[in-house]
Amino acid sequence: MEKLIRVVRRGLGLHHPGRNLEVFPDDVFILSFPKSGNTWTRFLIANLVYPETPADFSNINRLTPDPEALSKREMAKMPRPRIIKSHQYFDPRYKRVIYVVRDPRDVALSQFYFHRKRGLIDDQYAPEKFVTRFVAGETSPYGSWGENVAGWLATRQNRLGFLLLRYEDMLADANLELEKVAAFLQIPPDKARIANAVQRSSADEMRNLEKLQAHLWSSTQSTRQDVPFVRTAKAGGWKTGLPEAAVAQLEAAWGPLMSYLGYELHSDAAKSIAASSDSRLLEAVFSGHGMSR
Amino acid sequence: MIYGIRKVMKYALGRDIAGRTLAVRADDTFIVSYPRSGNTWTRFLVANLLHPQEAATFDNIERWVPDTEAQSSRYMRSIPSPRTIKSHSYFDPRYPRVIYIMRDPRDVALSYYDFSRKYRHIEDSYPLERYVRDFVTGHSGAADWGTWGENVASWAFARGARPGFLLLRYEDMKARPEQELARIADFYGIRITPQLLQTTLERSSADRMREMERTQGKDWVSTKDKRSDIPFIRTASSGGWKSKLRAESVAEIEAAWGNVMQQFGYELVAGKTNNAIDADKNEARVKRDQTQLTGATFLGENRG
Repeated sequence: MEKLIRVVRRGLGLHHPGRNLEVFPDDVFILSFPKSGNTWTRFLIANLVYPETPADFSNINRLTPDPEALSKREMAKMPRPRIIKSHQYFDPRYKRVIYVVRDPRDVALSQFYFHRKRGLIDDQYAPEKFVTRFVAGETSPYGSWGENVAGWLATRQNRLGFLLLRYEDMLADANLELEKVAAFLQIPPDKARIANAVQRSSADEMRNLEKLQAHLWSSTQSTRQDVPFVRTAKAGGWKTGLPEAAVAQLEAAWGPLMSYLGYELHSDAAKSIAASSDSRLLEAVFSGHGMSR
Repeated sequence: MIYGIRKVMKYALGRDIAGRTLAVRADDTFIVSYPRSGNTWTRFLVANLLHPQEAATFDNIERWVPDTEAQSSRYMRSIPSPRTIKSHSYFDPRYPRVIYIMRDPRDVALSYYDFSRKYRHIEDSYPLERYVRDFVTGHSGAADWGTWGENVASWAFARGARPGFLLLRYEDMKARPEQELARIADFYGIRITPQLLQTTLERSSADRMREMERTQGKDWVSTKDKRSDIPFIRTASSGGWKSKLRAESVAEIEAAWGNVMQQFGYELVAGKTNNAIDADKNEARVKRDQTQLTGATFLGENRG
């Protein structure tokens, strides 16, 4: 019976296309591993590209459509060029990609709270236990943090059609990072327009909107309302929020990749591994050659 | 609309090609490579290693090591666990255990050219130079496996040295088959005897596979209804590109993926055969072509 419903929904194009999205050559993707600043980036870009429509939680799925939240039919009808939100691991069909990366120690902590919000774990669930599953890639369907990041960077970093943003750089100077986005999208880098987009997408503004509209948005509907979606909007929370052992696990798994991205390692064991050939290997491949410039 | 209904019916009946929608099992092992990189040879090696009671042929290979991109969802479900499955897919986080085979992209391009003529994707008159351009920009195949560089790098860097990932180079397999086969056996936790090793290699030799292609090729899912005057099992050798590819084609491949190639021990030659100005010209042209083909008219800014 369940299969029948699935078949009928599929026949009518009512299913979420997700990874099976039909991609158009002019699609732009806002990509990241979950809990890495994707929603903030969506707001920034929506407010930059469509200044006449201030982004909020009731219109963000239309301004920057989400193939996990909209149906195949809705996705196909979106005006083009579409600016699509996604968490997908590497997909060669995505030709214009803005990839947001965030310190995996903060990502793990943020996802830990998000899983509480969604009722996937209870308040007694230990962070160490969560981080073990996080490292194994079992807390989301998009590969592990390392698989997602390395998959995109190894194939696209320093190539045409790929813009890498660090969440931490966006926090430090959102205007500067949004200027890069404007150049990438070939939007005139008008200072006032950029400043306006940054201001409309501030954490305070988004928190206010969440209070008013959480029930309207696919990602916050039917979740615990006492745990916020827009959380601290800060970097480095892991230093006090994560136990030492969890930090060591994350760094042991992805030390070289973290070093390459400029995330300073905390545990001595990870530091010595990252200093070995592994991170030089990443440098060599990611720093590009030939077509890379 | 009719196409849509047909697709939905196929899905309902389990007759759709499994491909990336394959229901992966926790004990599955995948043999993955870009096309024309030694995947079929590896399938035979593994089939002969795991099932020594019956020599692998083109008649039984889809049973021992089924092709998820050629078989239906229902067929894939009917294969008992633990399965070993053939795939050309770029990185897929659901694949728990992966044997990845990598081959010099200059040889891959040359082999893919013959294969594309065999499959009637291109005419015999299609220039090799143009084909290499298609190959570099990701427009050569009928299906989307990503470019060579994307396929290789997405697996090698997402999984790298992690447990459950075995990286093989076709060139090493040719040069030291015993040693590489022992690594495969080790990956499966099999203690290989010298006798099993010899039998497996003999039963998977290029000569024997060529002979079987002649007698069974018309029935095998990957060769039936394809041109029989171009063999599927080609030279089974390395370095053919040195005499067959033009210097400019070599330069284009190396400009696109030189960093990844060097990382895995493929020596670059473009700098030696072309002067720097020519290489730059090639590079600019490839870049321009790719820009046009992807519809991107901008240059992304990047972190260093």
